[in-house]
Amino acid sequence: MKIAEYIKGVKTNNRAILSKAITLIESSLVKDQELASELIEECLNYKSKSIRIGISGTPGVGKSTFIEALGLHLIKQKHKIAILTIDPSSTISKGSILGDKTRMQKLSNHELAFIRPSPNKGQLGGVHNSTKDIITLCEAAGYEIILIETVGVGQSEISVQLMTDLFLYLTLSENGDDLQFIKKGVLELSDIIVINKMDLNIEKAKQVKFNLENHLQITSNKTQYVFTCSALKKLNIKKIWNQIESIFNAKWNNNKIQINREKQNGIWLEKILKAGWLEKLKQNSRFQKIIAESQKKPPKNPRKKALDILNKLSLK
Amino acid sequence: MKKIKLFSNTPGFAKQTKKDWCKSIKKRDFKIQFKNKIFDPIYFQNEIEKTNTFDKNSNWKITAEIDISSEKKANKEALKLLKMGVNSITFLNFKDHNLEVILKDIQIDIIKLNFKKIKKIDFLINSLLAIAKKRQINSKKLVGSFYQKKISKKDYNQYIKLLPKFHYIQIDIESFNKKKPTNYYNPKHILFTYQPSSFFLSEIGYLRAFRINFEKKFKISPYIECVIKVKNNKYHSLIESCVKSIGSILGGCNSLIMNSKIENKLNIQQQLILKHESFLNKVSDSLNGSFLIEKITQEYTNGYQKKEKLKHRNISWNASEGIKLKSKYSSNDIKNVKHLDFGAGTPPFLRGPYTTMYCNKKWTIRQYAGFSTAEESNKFYKKNLKAGQSGLSVAFDLPTHRGYDSNHPRVSGDVGKAGVAIDSVEDMERLFDGIDLAKTSVSMTMNGAILPIMAFFIVVAKRKKIALSKISGTIQNDILKEFMVRNTYIYPPKPSMRIVSDIFKYTSKNMPKFNSISVSGYHMLEAGASADLEIAYTLSDGLEYVRTGLQAGLKIDDFAPRLSFFWGVGMNFFTEIAKIRAARILWAEIMQNFHPENPKSMMLRSHCQTSGWSLIAQNPQNNITRTTIEAIAATIAGTQSLHTNALDEAMSLPTENSAKIARDTQLFLQEQTDICQTIDPFGGSYYLEILTQEILQKAKKHIKEIEKAGGMSKAIEKGIPKLKIEASAIKRQASIDNAKNLIIGLNCFQDNEYEDIEILDINNKLVQKTQIKKLNKIKKNRNEQLVNKYLNKLSKGCLSDKINLLSLAIEAAENKATLGEISMACEKVFGRYEANTIINSGIYAMEQNKNSQFIIAQKLTEKFKQKYGRRPRILTAKLGQDGHDRGVKIIATSFADIGFDVDIAPLFQTPKEIAKQAIENDVHIIGISSLAGGHKTLIPSLIQQLKVLGNSSIMIIAGGIIPKKDYQYLKNKGVRKIFGPGTIVVEAALDILNELI
Ligand SMILES: Nc1nc2c(ncn2[C@@H]2O[C@H](COP(=O)(O)OP(=O)(O)OP(=O)(O)O)[C@@H](O)[C@H]2O)c(=O)[nH]1
Ligand SMILES: [Mg+2]
Repeated sequence: MKIAEYIKGVKTNNRAILSKAITLIESSLVKDQELASELIEECLNYKSKSIRIGISGTPGVGKSTFIEALGLHLIKQKHKIAILTIDPSSTISKGSILGDKTRMQKLSNHELAFIRPSPNKGQLGGVHNSTKDIITLCEAAGYEIILIETVGVGQSEISVQLMTDLFLYLTLSENGDDLQFIKKGVLELSDIIVINKMDLNIEKAKQVKFNLENHLQITSNKTQYVFTCSALKKLNIKKIWNQIESIFNAKWNNNKIQINREKQNGIWLEKILKAGWLEKLKQNSRFQKIIAESQKKPPKNPRKKALDILNKLSLK
Repeated sequence: MKKIKLFSNTPGFAKQTKKDWCKSIKKRDFKIQFKNKIFDPIYFQNEIEKTNTFDKNSNWKITAEIDISSEKKANKEALKLLKMGVNSITFLNFKDHNLEVILKDIQIDIIKLNFKKIKKIDFLINSLLAIAKKRQINSKKLVGSFYQKKISKKDYNQYIKLLPKFHYIQIDIESFNKKKPTNYYNPKHILFTYQPSSFFLSEIGYLRAFRINFEKKFKISPYIECVIKVKNNKYHSLIESCVKSIGSILGGCNSLIMNSKIENKLNIQQQLILKHESFLNKVSDSLNGSFLIEKITQEYTNGYQKKEKLKHRNISWNASEGIKLKSKYSSNDIKNVKHLDFGAGTPPFLRGPYTTMYCNKKWTIRQYAGFSTAEESNKFYKKNLKAGQSGLSVAFDLPTHRGYDSNHPRVSGDVGKAGVAIDSVEDMERLFDGIDLAKTSVSMTMNGAILPIMAFFIVVAKRKKIALSKISGTIQNDILKEFMVRNTYIYPPKPSMRIVSDIFKYTSKNMPKFNSISVSGYHMLEAGASADLEIAYTLSDGLEYVRTGLQAGLKIDDFAPRLSFFWGVGMNFFTEIAKIRAARILWAEIMQNFHPENPKSMMLRSHCQTSGWSLIAQNPQNNITRTTIEAIAATIAGTQSLHTNALDEAMSLPTENSAKIARDTQLFLQEQTDICQTIDPFGGSYYLEILTQEILQKAKKHIKEIEKAGGMSKAIEKGIPKLKIEASAIKRQASIDNAKNLIIGLNCFQDNEYEDIEILDINNKLVQKTQIKKLNKIKKNRNEQLVNKYLNKLSKGCLSDKINLLSLAIEAAENKATLGEISMACEKVFGRYEANTIINSGIYAMEQNKNSQFIIAQKLTEKFKQKYGRRPRILTAKLGQDGHDRGVKIIATSFADIGFDVDIAPLFQTPKEIAKQAIENDVHIIGISSLAGGHKTLIPSLIQQLKVLGNSSIMIIAGGIIPKKDYQYLKNKGVRKIFGPGTIVVEAALDILNELI
C-alpha cells in the first residue's frame, strides 16, 4: 500500500486500513519502519483532542473486564474509543495468546470501538515504542478516548505512564491488609487506584480503600484518588469516569496535559535514540564483528570492552 | 449448607455372598449355557479359592491368508498385507511354485510364515531352506506353520531338525480334547486351531482352560490360532468379528485369522485397533482372577492347577491416566484392594445397581437423535422404535439449547443442524406424534433452555391425557458441566442452579418415574478429560445437585433415587470398565454421608455413550470396530442404557444405514452374545480390580480438591475443573501428534484407499423457513395479552425464590408463548452468561520438545517473522451457537507454542462480529472450528463480511466435523484449507506456514 492510501484510510477511519497501518508501525522490517515514520509525520497534522489513559495491574486483576465496563459506559455517550492491549509473548516459544477480546465481548462488536491487541514481543517494558505511534494513528482516525491495557510486570507501568495523560492502577483487596501489595513505584505513578472485584468482599474493599487513602495523604505530594469497583457487576464505573474527566479537564485547562505531552516526547526521543543507536552500531561494518564476537564470547570485563568500543566512535 | 467430610468415618458397606445374592432374587433360573455346561450368572470371591493362569505374553499375531494364483501376485499381496500391519502370512495352495518369487523382499526371519493346502511338502521345505541359505538366515530361527492333518514319522523327524520352530500338524482344539494324537509328535510342533462362538465370555474361560491343561500336562504352552468366522449376516460382519476377536484375545490366543468374505483390510485394522487403541496386548491373561471366568475355566480344568514359576518377564507400562501398570497381575497384587466383596444390587453397587442386571432386564437401547424439523425427527423416531430401539433420546438444535427461537438473528446457521428445532408446544407435539409417552421412555438432552422444554413436554403430555405420574424418562438438566465443557448455558451459574432445584421440586412431586437429572461425564470425556477426572468431576457435580435439592427443602430420599449418570466410553477397554465400577462405589460412599434410608439413594445408574471423539474420518468403516469395542466395555461395566455412535458420527448426522449398524451393534450384543446372561463378568480380575482401585483413588483426590474449593459451583468460578480438563486434552493431543498414542489410520497405518460414505445433509435454510412460518402462524393465533401476562408473571417469579419457575413456564407455554419468549422472560432478570475463556499455554510444547516436526514448525514461524516483520497471526474462532471448544483451544495453545500470535475470539459470535475482530487485529489467518454442522452457511457468510469490511486477503481455514463432500463447496467459497477430525496439529501448522511463506 502507498503512503497516501494509508493516510486517506486512517483519516476516514477505515477500520481495515487503520489496522494495516498499525501493523506497519509494529513491523520489525527496516523498510516498513521508514514508511511508518512518514505516516506518523502526516498523521500528526490531523490529531484531535483526546484523552489518553493507561490501565495497569497484575494479571487477572480485571483490566479487560474493567475496560469493557468503562467502554460501554463511554459508548452510551457516543464517544469513539480506541483500546490498545499489550499481552506478553512467551519467552520460550515467542508466540503469544491474545485473549482480551473474550473479556470485552460487547465492546469488541461495537461500531464505536476499535480494539487492537498487540504482543509485546518479549520486550520487558511491556509497552513497546510503537504503542506511542499507534496512539497518534488512532487520534488521527478520530478516536477521542484511548485506553491502553498493560500487564503490570517489569517496567511496563513506567512506559505506559510515559505515553498517557492519566494512569489507572487496578488492584484487589484480597491480597492483604497492609499496603505492601502495591509495588512502591507504581503507587507514585498512579492518578487513580481502583480496588476491583469489590463484589467478592465489599467490607474488605472499603477497608482497603480507607487505609490506602490515609497512607497516600501522608506520603504523597500529588492528589491521588482511590475507588472501589466491580468491573464484572459494573459498580462505580460512572464515578470513576467522572473523576477521570474532571482531572483531565482541569489539567487541560491549565495546559498541564499539553506540557506533559511535550515532556514525554523528549523522553521518548531519548528512548528511541538509545534503542536505534545500538542497532546502528551493530550494523556498522567497523563494529559489527566486535559486537557479535563479544556477544558470543562475553568479555570478562564488560565495562572495559564497552568503553573500548565507544572510544572508537568519532562523531564528526 | 450442611458441611460434610467426605470419605472419612463412613461405616462401610456390607459384603455380599452367593447366599445373600440368591436370597435377594426371587426366581433362580438365571443360567449361562455353554457347550453342555451350565454356569451361574455371577460368582463371588469365596467361590473361587485359587485361580489358574498360564504362561504366555499378551501379544498375538495378526495372520492373513493369500491364495497363490501366481507367484508375483502372491508376493505383491503379501508385501501389501505386511505394510498394513500383518505379521503372519499363510499361503494357500502351494504346489510347484517358485518360492523365491513369492517371498521376494519379505523378511522371513521376522514374520511368521505359514502354508496351508500344501501339495508337495518336501519341495516346499527344500525351497525354503534354499532361500534361507541364500539370504544367510539360520533356518533354525524361522517360525511358521504347515497346516497338515498328518505327517509320517520319518518325514517329521527329518524336518524338525531343519526347521525346529515350525508346526507340522494342525489339530482342532475340540478334537484334541476328545482324542489325543499319535504320540510321536512333540506337542510344540502342533498348531491348535479353534473357532470361537459369539458367546465370547464363556469362550474366554474355555480357551484359558485348554492352555492351562496343556501346560500342566506337557510343560509347554500350546500355540493356539483362533479362526474368526462370521456366521450371522443379519449384522455388519465387523461387529461379530470384533466380539469373537475380543473373546479369543482375552482367552489368550497366539494368532488370529479372519475367515470371512469381508475385505481383509478392515479385519486387519480391527486387530490393530484392539492392540493399539484398546491396549488388549498389554496385560497377559488379563482376566486372571475374574470369578466368572475362573469358574468356567475350572470347569474344564478340574479345579485348581498348581503353577510353576512363570517365565515371562513383567514389563511396566503407563496408562494415560498416569497410572503405572504391569504386564501381569496375580493375587499378590490385590492384597490391598478392599472392595472385592461388594456385590450387585446392594450398596455400594460395585458389580451393578441391580441384583439380576441384564438377566432380568437388558439395557435400554437408546439412540440419541434429532435433526431438522419436529416432523422429520418424528418420522425417524418411529422407524427406529419399529426396528428394535427401546427408548427415545432427543437431540435439540443449538438455537433451542441456547434459548433462541428459529427466527433470532444470531442463529441462522444452526437451525435444525445438530438436532431438532423446537420453538413451541406445537413443535413438541409434532415431535411425539403417534408415540405413546406412557410406554416409551424419553430422554431429553437439555440444560440451558430447560424451562421451556420441560414446560412444552408437560403440556404435550397433558394434551395427550397421560398422567404425569406415569411418564418415565430423563432430562439432562446438568448445567454445571456446561460451564466446564459444553457451553450450552444461558444464564449465569447461580440462577441456573435455582432452575435445577425448581425442576427437582416439580418432578419429585409430580413425576415420580422421571429422572430429574442426568449428571454427565460424557462431555468431559469428549473434551479430553481422563477417566479419573471424568468420574471425579461428574460425581462432584452430583454432590452439588444433592446439596441444591436439600437446600430447596427436599428430603434426600425424595429425589436422590431419581438422579442418573451419563458416561462416555472411550477406547481404553479395561480402564473404561474400571471407571464405571469405581464411580458406583464412590457415589455410594458420597451419598452415605447424607444418611439416606432408601438404599436406592446411593445407587448410581448409568447411561453410556460410545465416544464420538474416538471416531475418525479416515476410513470410517473402522469406526464400527471402535464403537463395538466401546459398547462391549459399557455393557460389561453394567450400564442401564446405551447409545452407540454411527460410523459417520465423526463427520455428520447418521444416515439411515449407519444408524442401523449402530443399533445392530447393541442388538448383536444382546441377542448373540452371553453378556446378558452374566453380571459383572470381569469382576475379580486382578488387573481390572487394581485399575478400579487406582482410578477410584485418583478420583477421590480430585473430589477432595473440589470440596476444598468450596464445592463445584465455587470451583467452576475459580476455573479449576476447566483448566484441568483442558490440560488433559492438550496432553492427549500431543501424545497423538508425536505418535506416543497410536490411532489406526491417523498417525499410523494411514491408507487413502477407502470408500467415501454417503451422509445426511440438512438444508438449514429450508428448515429455518419452515420454522419461521410456523412461528408466525402461532403468533397470529394467540391471545397476545394473555401471553404477555404470563411472561411477565414468569419474569417476576425470577426475582424471588418463592414460586416454582417450571410451574410458571408451563402456564406461559399453555398460552402459546414460544421457547425464545419464555427464555427471554428469565434472561431479562438473570442476564446471559458470557464464557470465561482461560487458555493453558506451554503444555503442548512441553510434550513436543523432541518432535522434529514441531521444531521445524517453530523455525518456520521465526523465518516468517524475518521475512514479514512480525509473527504469523491467527484468529481462532467458533461461529454461531456451537460451544464445543476443545478443538479450538487445542489449536490456540499449540499454535502459540509453535510461535504464532494467536487471537482468541469469544464464543457464540456471528460471522460479522468475527470479521470485525479479524480485521482490527489484522490477522493473516482465521481458523474456524465447526462441530455442529453450521459451516456451509456460516463460513461463506464470514468471507462475505470480510469483503464488505475491506480485507479479503485473510486466509480462511476450517476444521472440525466437516464432511468430505462439503470440502469442494467450501473451497469454492474461498476456504483455503480444511482439516478433518483427528488432524495432527503440527502437520496442520506446517501446512499453513508453507502456504504463507
Ligand atoms: N468477581 C469479579 N470478577 C471479576 C471482576 N473483574 C474481573 N473479574 C474476573 O477476573 C478474571 C480476569 O479478568 P480479566 O479482565 O481478564 O483480567 P485482566 O487483568 O485483563 O487479565 P490479563 O489480561 O490476563 O492480565 C475474569 O475471570 C473476570 O471475569 C469483578 O469485578 N468481580
Ligand atoms: Mg486482559
